[in-house]
Amino acid sequence: MALAAPRWRLRDAPAAWLLIIPVLALFSVAVVYPLIETIRLSFFDIKGLSAPKYVGFGNYLTLFADPTFRNTISTTLIFTLGTTAISVSIGWTLAMLCAFAPRRTLPFRMMVFSAFGISETVSGYMWISMLRPDQAGLLNNLIGIFSPGFSYAWLGDADTALWALVVAASWSAVGLPLLLCFASVQAISKSVLEAAYMDGAKPLSIMRFIMMPLSLPGVRVAIFINLLNALRAFDIIFILTGGGPVRATETVGYFMYRESMTQFKLGYGAAATVILLIAVLIVSIPAIIQRTAGAK
Amino acid sequence: MNRETATRLRRRTMLAAMGIGLAIGAVGAASAQDLNGELVILNWQGGVEADLWVDLEAAFMADNPGVTVREVQITAQGDARGGIRSALLGGEVVDIIINTWPAFRAELADAGIIRPIDDEWAAHNWDSKLSQSWRDLGSIGDATYGLTYTYGDRSGLWYKTAHFEKAGIEPPTTWDEFIASFDALKAAGYATPVAIPGKYWAHAEYFETFLIRTSGVEVASALAAHEIPWTDPAVKAALMKFAEMLNAGCCGDAATMLANDWDGEADQVFLADAKNYLMIGMWMNARARGDYGMEEGVDYSLLQFPAFGLGHDDTSMVDSKEVNVTTNGANPAAAEAFLDFLLTREATDILADYGYASPSTEADTSKLGPVMQISTDAVANSKVQFVLGDLLPGDLVDEYRVQLQKFLQDPSEANIDAVLAAIEAKAASAY
Repeated sequence: MALAAPRWRLRDAPAAWLLIIPVLALFSVAVVYPLIETIRLSFFDIKGLSAPKYVGFGNYLTLFADPTFRNTISTTLIFTLGTTAISVSIGWTLAMLCAFAPRRTLPFRMMVFSAFGISETVSGYMWISMLRPDQAGLLNNLIGIFSPGFSYAWLGDADTALWALVVAASWSAVGLPLLLCFASVQAISKSVLEAAYMDGAKPLSIMRFIMMPLSLPGVRVAIFINLLNALRAFDIIFILTGGGPVRATETVGYFMYRESMTQFKLGYGAAATVILLIAVLIVSIPAIIQRTAGAK
Repeated sequence: MNRETATRLRRRTMLAAMGIGLAIGAVGAASAQDLNGELVILNWQGGVEADLWVDLEAAFMADNPGVTVREVQITAQGDARGGIRSALLGGEVVDIIINTWPAFRAELADAGIIRPIDDEWAAHNWDSKLSQSWRDLGSIGDATYGLTYTYGDRSGLWYKTAHFEKAGIEPPTTWDEFIASFDALKAAGYATPVAIPGKYWAHAEYFETFLIRTSGVEVASALAAHEIPWTDPAVKAALMKFAEMLNAGCCGDAATMLANDWDGEADQVFLADAKNYLMIGMWMNARARGDYGMEEGVDYSLLQFPAFGLGHDDTSMVDSKEVNVTTNGANPAAAEAFLDFLLTREATDILADYGYASPSTEADTSKLGPVMQISTDAVANSKVQFVLGDLLPGDLVDEYRVQLQKFLQDPSEANIDAVLAAIEAKAASAY
């Protein structure tokens, strides 16, 4: 028996709008409004609880003349590129090694990925105990095996604090590149790999000439996501160094927090936020265009 | 005068008398009438201090069964002012704000968030319980905004008694004895006699005591108000004296100083037995008793910073905590009663139980532990100056602490000049 046709039928366009309106409403409240408000605030001079004063682009001009802010840009670049380079290269390498024995390396991959799920605050406190300046710190203790009595304040020396931070941030970030690159390697057609084996290719050659180039899409996504995460990094810096010593580890994200929340210069902090947003967009837009170019 | 007019006049006289009576009684009404409703307190303190406030509030509610106290709690690490501002701008309506920053009090008053409490002060005769100096401390100009409920010595050095026994020394009272103690302590196996927590702000404690001990509280007060520049010779003299201590091998390398906050350095003194002296506020007492399980006055003690002999050894840095009353609180009567309660024997006993000194004359100082008594005696016999970092404008205080970190990295005279010039450059635009 044929089913009776519905008495009424919503046309496609109105149906689509009906479905999308709740999402748009949420997006407007949670993303668009705070964004517009942040941009608006960036044109005002607000100190503490005093009344806002309109200053046009004054905050932006002050920001670029501020040597502390200029310093945060270079610190952010080092932190972002360092963290991304270390975490993606380790994650990619591990992914290819794991691809040779996917089942046996499952527990290992799960362990590495679990670090990605740990809160940055927890991870920060863990690294603080490892990088303690006395001999009770794990790192000093390990070095002390070869050099008794060794102790070094890794987070107190401006020359080592930023790199210690990069290593700590990379540790928790390795899981995502591993997952993405491993998925890319797994997506390589088995026939390609079998053909290579048949032709007598050795594992290293297979890795270099087949797995590495064919897993590049996963690597690109991993780089993109890690760059974004590193640009926005705050928690781990707050816990490990508080931006110090002498502002040596202060990134744009931390500067934004300090100016907005500690100094409560909301307008100035908002201007720094807008600059950070522009940096994130510069990183994101090419990647988004590339990933969605084929969409219909 | 006809009867109708006389009746009207009698009625007006009675109404006027009632009005005057109400007006007179209004200020003191809080103590006379049964209080009720909710009293909202904005609290940003954690740990032992949060427990203290729970007990104070419970005692107040027991005395005033009609009142329910509710806390708006701000979770903050480090400076809580950002969280307080966010809460207030976000629309939180509270009756009382707990405050420890005089500069923030001015900001709250300028923004119309808190109001003067001079009428309540007169009505309850708080002058009989708090000396004029405490009232001055809570004032802006001629108006009183803050009622101080506790205070602490910030020029004391904490130490573990066993360290001194092992080194065979007595607590130093003069600068020369202090410097000489470094060698004795090092010989006893302690490589770093003085703990300097330079990660955030606590390293400034040393500088501030050096400043008042070399030049007096008047100079520190003038510097806080930027009536003298940071490049003033008096400020340089304080850093030169500080450099003398660093150059005497007090504190290890700068990187170690900059790696730890005060709690980490306290662990180094009291748990790791690696360092000996620590200059930090009186909250250390609660940590020593509670977290380290040590006995006050037996396992650890406090000494006032040794005398320089420069004519200003009768000075101490102090901090205090006060309560401010808001302009828009829903229960001003309960707020007023709570302020009055904080100065009672009942409240000061609770404070003493937690190891906090009260400035109220109602307080029984014999209830304080031996270390607390050392600190209250020191403050009572000193010319005091409020902690400089809490008096400086927000814009400046950050630069001040960072530049002092740079001083720790290089305590040379040339760098001292550079450090002070950098703070002065920031100060020029911060006021």
